[in-house]
Amino acid sequence: MNSGTATRAPEPVRQLTELRVIAQDPSVRVRGRVLTETIRIPAEHLEPGPRGARFYVLDYDTATGRLQPPASIATDGKDRFAHTPTDTLLRSPAFRAQNVYAIAASTLAAAEAALGRRLAWGFDGHQLYLVPHAFPEANAYYAPEDGAIYFGYVTGGKEEVQTSLSFDIVAHETAHAILDGLRPRFATPSLPDQPAFHEALADCVALLSVFSLEAVVGNLLGKPNGDGKLAPAKLTEKALGETALFALAEQLGLEGERGSGLRRSIGLEPSRAWRRLREFEEPHRRGEVFVAAVMQTMLKMWAERLVAITSSSGADRSRVVEEGSTAAAHLLQMLLRGIDYMPPLELEFEDVLDAVLTADEVVAPDDRHGYRAALKSRFAAFGIARPKGRIVDVTRGPEPVYERMNFAILRSDRDEVERFLWENAEVLGIERAWQTRVQFVRPSVRIGPDGLVVSEVVADYVQRLQLEAREAKKMGVKIPKEVKGTTALELWGGGVVVFDQFGRAKLHQRKPLSDWKRQSRRLAYLAGHGLSDTKGRLGFTLSTPRGQRFAALHVENMRAAEDW
Amino acid sequence: MSAPAPKNVRVRAYDVGFGDSFLLSFEYGKALEDGRSKRHVLIDFGSVRWPKPKHATYPEIADDIAEQTEGQLDVVVLTHRHRDHLGGYGDKKAAATIAALKPRLVIRPWTEDPKLAADAKGPAGVGATSRRFAASLHEGQKFAEDIHRSLRGQRGFQGALAAEAEHQIPNHDAIEALDALANDAALGGRYLYAGQESGIEEAIPGIGVKVLGPPTPDQWPEVTGERDDDPEFWIRRRGLLNHMLSEAKKGEPVQGRGIVDGGEKAPPGPARWLIERMRSQQSHSLMRLVETLEDAMNNTSVILLFEVGNRRLLFPGDAQIENWSYVLKSGKAGNLGDKLADVDLYKVGHHGSRNATPRSLVKTWEGQKRKLTSVVSTLPDVFGKSEATAVPRITLMAALSKLGTLERTDELPSGSLYLELSGSTSDRTGYSVTNGNRP
Repeated sequence: MNSGTATRAPEPVRQLTELRVIAQDPSVRVRGRVLTETIRIPAEHLEPGPRGARFYVLDYDTATGRLQPPASIATDGKDRFAHTPTDTLLRSPAFRAQNVYAIAASTLAAAEAALGRRLAWGFDGHQLYLVPHAFPEANAYYAPEDGAIYFGYVTGGKEEVQTSLSFDIVAHETAHAILDGLRPRFATPSLPDQPAFHEALADCVALLSVFSLEAVVGNLLGKPNGDGKLAPAKLTEKALGETALFALAEQLGLEGERGSGLRRSIGLEPSRAWRRLREFEEPHRRGEVFVAAVMQTMLKMWAERLVAITSSSGADRSRVVEEGSTAAAHLLQMLLRGIDYMPPLELEFEDVLDAVLTADEVVAPDDRHGYRAALKSRFAAFGIARPKGRIVDVTRGPEPVYERMNFAILRSDRDEVERFLWENAEVLGIERAWQTRVQFVRPSVRIGPDGLVVSEVVADYVQRLQLEAREAKKMGVKIPKEVKGTTALELWGGGVVVFDQFGRAKLHQRKPLSDWKRQSRRLAYLAGHGLSDTKGRLGFTLSTPRGQRFAALHVENMRAAEDW
Repeated sequence: MSAPAPKNVRVRAYDVGFGDSFLLSFEYGKALEDGRSKRHVLIDFGSVRWPKPKHATYPEIADDIAEQTEGQLDVVVLTHRHRDHLGGYGDKKAAATIAALKPRLVIRPWTEDPKLAADAKGPAGVGATSRRFAASLHEGQKFAEDIHRSLRGQRGFQGALAAEAEHQIPNHDAIEALDALANDAALGGRYLYAGQESGIEEAIPGIGVKVLGPPTPDQWPEVTGERDDDPEFWIRRRGLLNHMLSEAKKGEPVQGRGIVDGGEKAPPGPARWLIERMRSQQSHSLMRLVETLEDAMNNTSVILLFEVGNRRLLFPGDAQIENWSYVLKSGKAGNLGDKLADVDLYKVGHHGSRNATPRSLVKTWEGQKRKLTSVVSTLPDVFGKSEATAVPRITLMAALSKLGTLERTDELPSGSLYLELSGSTSDRTGYSVTNGNRP
């Protein structure tokens, strides 16, 4: 026996891996050099590909038929590209594999931290394929039917533009995949806010994540003076918006080949007019309203954090960057945490605001920094207010019946939750008339401001009704003129029940199926935009593969206000 | 003595199924200098899908045109280079019949001008960006030819892709026939863009014609469907097409290509599974490219507004929203669009698709005293399986019906030759409508 080994203290298992990625986009250069940043992601056993527990990078190009050899990265925990010249990085298939893997893993880790659990994908499988050089098209999209994200590339200019090398695009697409796992029914044809939110959340994740790359933000803020400070005039909400945020969105929008959505979002003047304009019924355009409200909140949070560190001579640039990164990380966490409290379908922007605020109230009841107030005011400027009565505090009403429940399995068993809903339908305001199905029962563990654990179980259910338009009319649904009485309709409702650590219901988010006003609005939207399936039915799942619908969304749509 | 002016205007919409073929006849009260008392314009002559079970043929339609025009056609207009607008010229018999009518003027969009490719200096108003754009359209068509060649005969989505690609391929016989018509035309051939003189007034006295579109990318960068601050975008897209083209030429293009890894197949397992799946993604990716090309071609459509007495007739080909936006929204088109609100006959753009009749155009017709007559040449279930993509679009048809009357060729009895609208030029009260049967 080797006595030396026996006496050595055990080495801690490595928890993090540091990997170099392209910060932002290869087209953004400082003094001619591409900006890179080293990010930390959870360590795991990696097979060549790389392939880990959650991601599988496969570098196959459909245009050339070429399958790149699987890339071995960080096999000994060390970054093989740590000191590689950036021009070499851009040409290396192994590096683009590392880039997509690291950014996707980092995005997933942020979401799992916010929600306090491992997050499953929306398809049957534990690995999401990342294909970094999939086809020569200026597009990248998540294709749930393949469990994959495809990254396109464009040739023809001086250099090949690879979407897999854009930080924001990788983060954006990964966010789509994460949200799809959490809320698969958001793909059901519904009110325009729902697909818009898919795009908006992905944009917010991308934009706020890029903010964590301090080299990028520092660069965007401009040169400090001799003692490393930025003048006070550069640190107002307005000035920060014009310099850092605008510049960032502009670079992402232009060079990402994905249209100018982000740039337009930041520039959107707060107004309620969008609700009346047809162009804002197109999901991407509509999502810009949400992104604008979030990013304007971000600006306010950032500016207010700077007050404490700003003197008459200004503030240290590195601290300004740090505060921006902190504000962005916090806001991102608030947004992601809110997903658990959002309805499983029939989502409207109001529900998102409601969910984010409620989830935050649970872990930080006193809103010491005024973040919730900032969020509310910025959304209010766009006419989005917290709705009343959609999230019900169950503890303040009649007590649900628990006596016939088994608490141990209520925390994990869909059928037991079904029983709970059935038994307590009156208390919860759930109609027994409709077919009800509990989709997920998920644990959530988060850390509250007192440092203690907030443990919850979140169960979501959906209700469905299939009928003809003329039957819906009798119930109170307004049928658009162009819809025939015999047209088949599918109506949906649903909600989320949040149980506390003792297994007692505490909150109920609800979108009743029999909200005929909402159903009328949904039907008008679906009929007005031709969102029927191939049999002419409305409200049913569309026949186009979902990946293709995501792909189509990323193609700039200038026609939204003018088409039929 | 005032110049002669037409007393009556007649529009004959031939039932070509999914396509356009319109004969405009201007009828004067008395004979003009050459002894004829009518003038005729043929706008498009093509189809990609004929109605079933019975339908007219190109030669039958050409014979009817010959009869109507009494042996002399004045103007031939090709709005744009799609098969459903020019296929008839590819039929030798029909083309010979039209050629025998010796049209005096042949109009095509600026992108068809052979001078564009010949030298660096194109017509006025067509700068370097426009020339590159026109060249890229031709590259795109070659690309479509390769896709069609590779996928011809396939079923399912790949078959649909092949059909969509075929639609983009120029019919060389038809183009040659049109070139010959232009060469022989007394007033020559004209290649038009927005704001130019059409030359039609010279052939047809007493009317006015405005060319509302297409704008060139130099006039209106948004016509390429992309961002107005990024004129290079389309050029990059062209590079992309070239790349695909060169890849396609390397071997068995698009379909049936082996999985390559240093000559080895991908090993059995998840990698091979995904690679198989990616073929379907690739087909969809190609379809998006072909649709981009389709839109770009449609957006080269010549938009003509005829002013005849109190009548205003609008023929926009298949112009899409980006083409229309020049005259409707750009603020750069001067007074070109001033008379749009007065239109009383509208040839529904692009067979009634969702993207070719801008809502803002329809808005200008709402609340007008006179009723609008819309005429659509279409055939359902050719394009688009869901209502969102279906042509004609139900919501658009409903909106146009509300503004007056909507005449549809697809509602003619099977085997009809045409539907005809006729109206006095001193009138504003709708058109009388008759159907014509095949001989």
